[in-house]
Amino acid sequence: MPVAASAIYFLNLRGDVLINRLYRDDVGGNMVDAFRIHIMQTKELGTCPVRQIGGCSFLYMRISNVYIVIVVSGNANVACAFKFVVEAVALFKSYFGGAFDEDAIRNNFVLIYELLDEIMDFGYPQNLSPEILKLYITQEGVRSPFSSKPSDKPVPNATLQVTGAVGWRREGLMYKKNEVFLDIVESVNLLMSSKGSVLRCDVTGKILMKCFLSGMPDLKLGLNDKIGLEKESQIKSRPIKSGKTIELDDVTFHQCVNLTRFNSEKTVSFVPPDGEFELMKYRITEGVNLPFRVLPTIKELGRTRMEVNVKVKSVFGAKMFALGVVVKVPVPKQTAKTSFQVTSGRAKYNASIDCLVWKLCIYTRIRKFPGQTESTMSAEVELISTMVEKKSWTRPPIQMEFQVPMFTASGLRVRFLKVWEKSGYNTVEWVRYITKAGSYEIRC
Amino acid sequence: MAPPPIVQQKSSSPSQPSGYVFFLPSLSVLLLNRKPLRFLIPSYCLSRKSEVSDLKLQLRQLAGSRAPGADDSKRDLFKRVISYMTVGIDVSAAFSEMVMCSATSDIVLKKMCYLYVGNYARCHPDLALLTINFLQKDCRDVDPMIRGLALRSLCSLRVPNLVEYLVSPLSSGLEDGSPYVRMVAVLGVLKLYHISATTCFDSDFPASLKNLMLTDSDAQVVANCLFVLQEIWNLEANKSEEANRERETLLSKQTIYYLLNRIKEFNEWAQCLILELISKYIPSDSNDIFDIMNLLEDRLQHANGAVVLATIKVFLHLTMSMTDVHQQVYERLKAPLLTLVGSGSSEQSYAVLSHLHLLVMRAPMLFSSDYKHFYCQFSDPSYIKKLKLEMLTAIANESNTYEIVTELCEYAGNVDVPIARESIRAVGKIALQQYDVNAIVDRLLQFLEMEKDYVTAETLVLVKDLLRKYPQWSHDCIAVVGNISSKNVQEPKAKAALIWMLGEYSKDMPDAPYILENLIENWDDENAAEVRLHLLTAAMKCFLKRPPETQKALGAALAAGVADSHQDVHDRALLYYRLLQYDVSVAERVVNPPKQAVSVFADLQSSEVKDRIFDEFNTLSVVYQKPSYMFTDKEHRGPFEFSEEIGNLSLDQESMDNAPRFDESDKDLLLSTSEREENGGPSINGAATPGYSAPHDYNSSLVPLSSQTQSEPAVTSRTSFAIDDLLGLSMLAAPAPPSLKLNSKAALDPGTFQRKWGQLGVSISQEIPISPQGVGSLTTPQALIRHMQANSIHCIASGGQSPNFKFFLFAQKDDGSASFFLVECIVNTSSAKAQVKVKADDASASEAFFALFQSALSKFGM
Repeated sequence: MPVAASAIYFLNLRGDVLINRLYRDDVGGNMVDAFRIHIMQTKELGTCPVRQIGGCSFLYMRISNVYIVIVVSGNANVACAFKFVVEAVALFKSYFGGAFDEDAIRNNFVLIYELLDEIMDFGYPQNLSPEILKLYITQEGVRSPFSSKPSDKPVPNATLQVTGAVGWRREGLMYKKNEVFLDIVESVNLLMSSKGSVLRCDVTGKILMKCFLSGMPDLKLGLNDKIGLEKESQIKSRPIKSGKTIELDDVTFHQCVNLTRFNSEKTVSFVPPDGEFELMKYRITEGVNLPFRVLPTIKELGRTRMEVNVKVKSVFGAKMFALGVVVKVPVPKQTAKTSFQVTSGRAKYNASIDCLVWKLCIYTRIRKFPGQTESTMSAEVELISTMVEKKSWTRPPIQMEFQVPMFTASGLRVRFLKVWEKSGYNTVEWVRYITKAGSYEIRC
Repeated sequence: MAPPPIVQQKSSSPSQPSGYVFFLPSLSVLLLNRKPLRFLIPSYCLSRKSEVSDLKLQLRQLAGSRAPGADDSKRDLFKRVISYMTVGIDVSAAFSEMVMCSATSDIVLKKMCYLYVGNYARCHPDLALLTINFLQKDCRDVDPMIRGLALRSLCSLRVPNLVEYLVSPLSSGLEDGSPYVRMVAVLGVLKLYHISATTCFDSDFPASLKNLMLTDSDAQVVANCLFVLQEIWNLEANKSEEANRERETLLSKQTIYYLLNRIKEFNEWAQCLILELISKYIPSDSNDIFDIMNLLEDRLQHANGAVVLATIKVFLHLTMSMTDVHQQVYERLKAPLLTLVGSGSSEQSYAVLSHLHLLVMRAPMLFSSDYKHFYCQFSDPSYIKKLKLEMLTAIANESNTYEIVTELCEYAGNVDVPIARESIRAVGKIALQQYDVNAIVDRLLQFLEMEKDYVTAETLVLVKDLLRKYPQWSHDCIAVVGNISSKNVQEPKAKAALIWMLGEYSKDMPDAPYILENLIENWDDENAAEVRLHLLTAAMKCFLKRPPETQKALGAALAAGVADSHQDVHDRALLYYRLLQYDVSVAERVVNPPKQAVSVFADLQSSEVKDRIFDEFNTLSVVYQKPSYMFTDKEHRGPFEFSEEIGNLSLDQESMDNAPRFDESDKDLLLSTSEREENGGPSINGAATPGYSAPHDYNSSLVPLSSQTQSEPAVTSRTSFAIDDLLGLSMLAAPAPPSLKLNSKAALDPGTFQRKWGQLGVSISQEIPISPQGVGSLTTPQALIRHMQANSIHCIASGGQSPNFKFFLFAQKDDGSASFFLVECIVNTSSAKAQVKVKADDASASEAFFALFQSALSKFGM
């Protein structure tokens, strides 16, 4: 018996039940008490998301200020359970319009009960696709046209499609202006040693798509990835001229993408869902262009003083610019006084996270950090001398946040996006690129 | 108690508010004295009670109303009812009103009503009967949505005596024109099966499901049929031959191919299930295997990680018999797994990492070039870091050791102390794997210079293990270890390690005798027996090498040892004393023989267990790192349920005897890797010199043992097991003991208890498991105290907080003799175990009493 969940609980941070749904009788009603006593009120919390108490396993996740707990009695499929929770939350979010937190749950509990009934039956996951569920569960509740005036109308379209094969798109959509928006969002993860060598670096990217297209369009997406290009040149038997090609380590696709065709022809073709969705995710480890270089020097002068010098260099094209650039330099807990000199932006000491926080993109006139420039911060930190002297303070890594529009760290580019529909309308395609910092850590 | 007087006052003299005022403070005093929560909930409910009756009234007024705004006001009322229900207030009083209001066309109202009915039907079966009528009517509604919802609610009532009403709506539901209704009906069959299996089989539902599964056009209906059939046949498989056959047919080539061909129609969750089924399929030949893998390869690109993992399982299991393909599969799976680790929340990556961990442990070589993926990020939660550290340790080889060890050394200064410790242990383990030991030893010695207590402690333990394996490094190590002040080492394990080195290498450490002397002077402050044992041995070794300097210290150590209250310490001191008395050269041969270096530290998890976990890929087993029979209650707790049914004392005894041994093996598997290797030492030596009992072997086998950590406890626990076994057997062989009667009104004052506890010896000391229900009920010590009192076992003192509770209990024989049983019971709810010590005036009856105590405890929470 693979995945049947016995119960699902939504708790707030105090452990009060916001919503619970017991799907099966094989766990007791006091399971939530067990969770509260053995996990929430102990140091266990956060040490492991899967815990066994008595004969039951608790799989829990914290999302904003809510704990979502799935209780199972058997040998369940963990990955599936967590994915289910994540998907369910995404579904709720699409219903509430963005936020998922304690208040949202309290304000929408009837709706959530309705949804919990539909997305899981007797512990087995059913349909979680928001596109379909929204057809028959709406915030206000559909008043069924049938029961009010009984007649022999045909079975409504909605329920037919609930379980249909092309579950992600309904027929008969019409738009005046047919538009597609593509967003390529990459996050760069970096781990750099104190000697300045790159220990680990990769890019995880996703292509988000917003479709406002009529009818049942067929789309084809071309990227500058190496395998796809090679395949294409094979088919057309002539080399395709293009600049840089990149090698994708791994790709995953939205269920709408025809995977068989991808495997044979290496083209991404699909019938898109309506509205916003995540078309694909990819991972790249080779040939990553780091947008920023960080050069820290930290000197400990005696027991009570520290000198911090950080130089940040933007190494992307001079015509581009970065936004929201923040550098966080950890300092010891007993920091007493700090003074700064910066060439741009502003720095201050944040005691709650024990960091010097240097925001580079405020108080400049344009609020942007252009490419091929550098900026430095030098800070003096005074420490309180403590009796329990830790001989050496081990420094956590410097962390950095940024966003660089129109830049991809991987070098990925969209070469084309073709739309076919039998009515043959014209479409407008928009493409945006942005690179964000994932976990950008520099040891010092 | 308090409310009635208030009412009395109020009704008898409403004109005298002073009396009312007078009572309120007394109530609040009451509240303050007791646990506030326990009292507040009822009073809270009291205040709600009026609201509930208010709601009832309003609902009744609206029930018949056909006014235009009626539905909206009904919705508001229903919402309030549901919100009370959610916070746990009992609103079942409004049941009939809710049912009256349910005659509506508003689908949202209907849904709320169904929810309400589903929640209370089980505890109020008589009221549930009221709803049958309107649910059955709704099952015939024109709107498939309503038909489906009603059918789902009808099946979710879970009231056994209403089963007869389910059969006909279910069978018509299975043939409904709308897939939505069919999909609900299919799961309804499973619900029916759980209420009454016989009704389910009598109506021949499994057969119709099987038919539906192979013919229905809708994918979700097919998937649900599969869910249901799988669960039913798995549960029935033990009971009947036919069910077993049916289960086999689910795995037949025909069914599997049918599902495979349709797999793309299914949604992601159903795909997971189908893939799980396919992973159990036994392919007929290699073409079969390749066909399936080619068909499923694109599933590895699915956006849903659960589907990818399920596919991976299929690939791994299908190729088990083909070694070379199996390896290629590993290569193929690497990329998708690493992607999954990096995407999604940390909980999701934990689930994936656990699986990656399993694969890495099976084939570390294949992952050795991917080590950078396992570097920890500063922001990773500790559960992820821990897995990554273990993987880094496993994949270290000649080519990457330098990088990995450098990285691990970074973590040693981590703010997260457990992770810092873990990473030091990892460095040590890599050193023991014998790759580039030279450099690693240097690193370890650098750790000692960091002068952080926990770093020093961990490192000392590791250096000790290293020296046992590579005695040639003693010179470098000893130079550094000699500089460590024993005052900075507090942890018993580390202290023991330091002392072991002092004894072993006393020749090379000029200060050794004096440090030992110092430590021996503080003998009484040393709490851990482990450390005292090591002190004795080290003093002996040191004496044999440098007699004049150590003689005084050894004398003091032996004197203190012989007077020690710990049995093992006492025995070892006596042994040494007599050895020395007998002949010093014999003592030398026993205590300080030439030693062989340990070549391999044992891995405690047997390959059989590992294979079992691998079979259960993509389940909790992998996360817990133990096979499912060890944590799913049914099999593991089987003997208990059995014994309760029979209620026979002698059977009880047998099952109890079995249980602790089960647990013992559990614990072994849970030991962290570092503990494993320490425990591994003695067991290897044990294997090298078989038979603890052979007298001429005894001395020689004792020597390596006594020089190692934890050797002594290991041996004693083993012997005590043997005794347990004997007891268990003798209990079985003997006729059931005369049942012991306890005096239900026994009394004992704390002073007497304390005196008795001091005088009497422990007659039974055992660990017993507690049922999950018991754990759930044990929110405060009082719960258990009341329960035990009902079994004539009284509590004299209790304390503790979750997860640890401690109880002192007593009971008296009901035969007029003032013979008492005293019990110390330490309950740990997180491990669901109780440590029980029994002392008795009449030790001969303690076995019977213990059995009684166990059965009482096992019934706790039922």
